[in-house]
Amino acid sequence: MQPEAPIVARDLCFAFGEGELRKQILFNVCLVVEPGEIVLLTGPSGSGKTTLLTLIGGLRRVQDGELRVLGQQLNGASEPILVKSRRRIGFIFQQHNLLPFLTARQNVELMLDMERRLTRIDLASRTVSALESVGLGDRFDFEPAQLSGGQRQRVAIARALVGDPELILADEPTAALDSKSGRSVVDLLKNLARERGVPILMVTHDARVLDVADRVVSMEDGAIIESAGDVESAS
Amino acid sequence: MTRLPSSFRIGWLQVSHSKTKLLIASSGVVVAVMLMLVQLGIRRGAIDSSIAIAKRLTADVVIVSPRTKSVFKPSSIPRSVLQRAAAHPDVVRIQPLYFGTAVFRNPWSLQEFPISVYGLDADQPMMDLPGYEQQRSRLELADHLAFDLQSRPTFGPVAKELLAGNEVVTEVNRRQVHVVGSVSVGVSINTEGTLYVSPANFNRLFPSRDLGAVDIGLVRAKRDSDPDRLARELSEFLGSEVRVISQQGLVKAEENYLRETAPLDFIFGMGAVVGFFIGFVVVYQILYTEVANHLPHYATLKAMGFKQSYLVRVVLSQAFIFSVIGFIPGFVLALGIYNLATTAIQMPVLMTLGRATAVFVTTLLMCGLSAMMAIRRLSSAQPADVF
Ligand SMILES: Nc1ncnc2c1ncn2[C@@H]1O[C@H](COP(=O)(O)OP(=O)(O)OP(=O)(O)O)[C@@H](O)[C@H]1O
Ligand SMILES: [Mg+2]
Repeated sequence: MQPEAPIVARDLCFAFGEGELRKQILFNVCLVVEPGEIVLLTGPSGSGKTTLLTLIGGLRRVQDGELRVLGQQLNGASEPILVKSRRRIGFIFQQHNLLPFLTARQNVELMLDMERRLTRIDLASRTVSALESVGLGDRFDFEPAQLSGGQRQRVAIARALVGDPELILADEPTAALDSKSGRSVVDLLKNLARERGVPILMVTHDARVLDVADRVVSMEDGAIIESAGDVESAS
Repeated sequence: MTRLPSSFRIGWLQVSHSKTKLLIASSGVVVAVMLMLVQLGIRRGAIDSSIAIAKRLTADVVIVSPRTKSVFKPSSIPRSVLQRAAAHPDVVRIQPLYFGTAVFRNPWSLQEFPISVYGLDADQPMMDLPGYEQQRSRLELADHLAFDLQSRPTFGPVAKELLAGNEVVTEVNRRQVHVVGSVSVGVSINTEGTLYVSPANFNRLFPSRDLGAVDIGLVRAKRDSDPDRLARELSEFLGSEVRVISQQGLVKAEENYLRETAPLDFIFGMGAVVGFFIGFVVVYQILYTEVANHLPHYATLKAMGFKQSYLVRVVLSQAFIFSVIGFIPGFVLALGIYNLATTAIQMPVLMTLGRATAVFVTTLLMCGLSAMMAIRRLSSAQPADVF
């Protein structure tokens, strides 16, 4: 039997506001991300990409339609179920959002602290290997303010990956970076995901990184307009 | 090795990252703790020093005039009443206590100052006056008296002379006296200093006073009798001419009278409340701006799966840290001020474990309350807004 797809969205609709101010953003969105697949989501500003990502991440409640993420039904799910679901996902934001008063090591460790089960030694060794895997083996005790933009985003990646997420959601992770470090961040993310077989859904405007994807999905006015399929074979 | 909860460590790292904020918040707590301890301590010190005399009475039951509101302002009762009380089978002994205010000439500056005078027989006195009874033979000589070593320095270095073994000759109520004895009792907000004399000498100092008019009648009861019951029986027996209460009842009555007449609770209570609010506002301000500044980061933590309760614990930990860091110096400063009060105005102000604990708990509440108010801001940390 095929394992279930990590993301299955059917006829997902979403609107902000109530009554007169109600503004529908997503219209019958259908999207399936297969195990291990790297999918890029593009589209003009305001087309609803971030909104879709927050729904999948369990950061907003599903209003209409069906959404299953990592086998968990999210439509109608309670807050504790949503929190549980979030913990299985690695988030990477446009801004690194690292806690400014913690060092790189402490920022990464914090994720592991959420699950109290780890011993001090496990915690330290997993943190070290996560930071080493993003090439920051020599920056453990630096605070975010002492790191470059690309290095901060790498810490954010280490933080997202250290908890062994089953899915990675990224929203324009390269937007705040120059093209060179943007490229290396995306490559890093791709390689780490490939190693672990973790699927990625990444929103990006950056045409230069489209080639890392297995598939590019475009959105316009709250609907998915095209699924480009396998990028490499298409080009 | 047990580790501190993660939320506590994050709280600590957050507050210790900005030393200035830690300093400001802790100073707010220091001021609050100091004010609360000092106000409550001085209030207690004022009460304690005023009831000190009542507390020192070792009589089981006292007989006073119904018009006597305080032992510092007694109305007299006829000595004959006291003799009648002695007839009660449970009464072992009675003793009159005389009280008056005289003027004492500072023999060095020759200036005169008011001083309290207690007339009490040095033969088994029913008052806890260390050393008084041992000096009985000298104090029974005409115009020889004992001086409270803890009297204020306005009377001159009398204590120093006495401790050096010298007697001090001076005038009390314009009559030459020999200060030969010493006791160490302590003054109160009512008196600057005190003399202890035999009834005969009391009469010499206050020739207009009739020894038949007693200020406070002291009663020693049989060992196994209940003072409250004896007081009730004597009260019935002696009639409405006098008021009879147990020694402990007198202490309570003194404290109540003081609190009714002097607005101690209000004045010092207000001071303590002001301290509380200073601490509350400062800690609230700091915690509120901390939460507001870190709202996106808190939202990120929520997005990554941390619960609201975790963030609440982070903020409460910070409040706890401010409490502890502020309490210690506040406590030490208060001890310094207690010492100052004790030496500068001769009013003993003592730290009690009960007060220290109460103020510490209040400090925790104060910071906790600030945190709870600041946390209301946290619910606006929407995890979806971080994208
Ligand atoms: N919290 C909100 N309340 C009301 N409307 C919102 C809110 N968030 C987003 N919107 C609206 O929803 C629409 C889609 O926003 P969304 O952020 O999903 O777009 P996007 O595709 O991610 O755009 P961009 O590429 O600029 O990030 C926009 O018109 C936006 O104004
Ligand atoms: Mg967006």
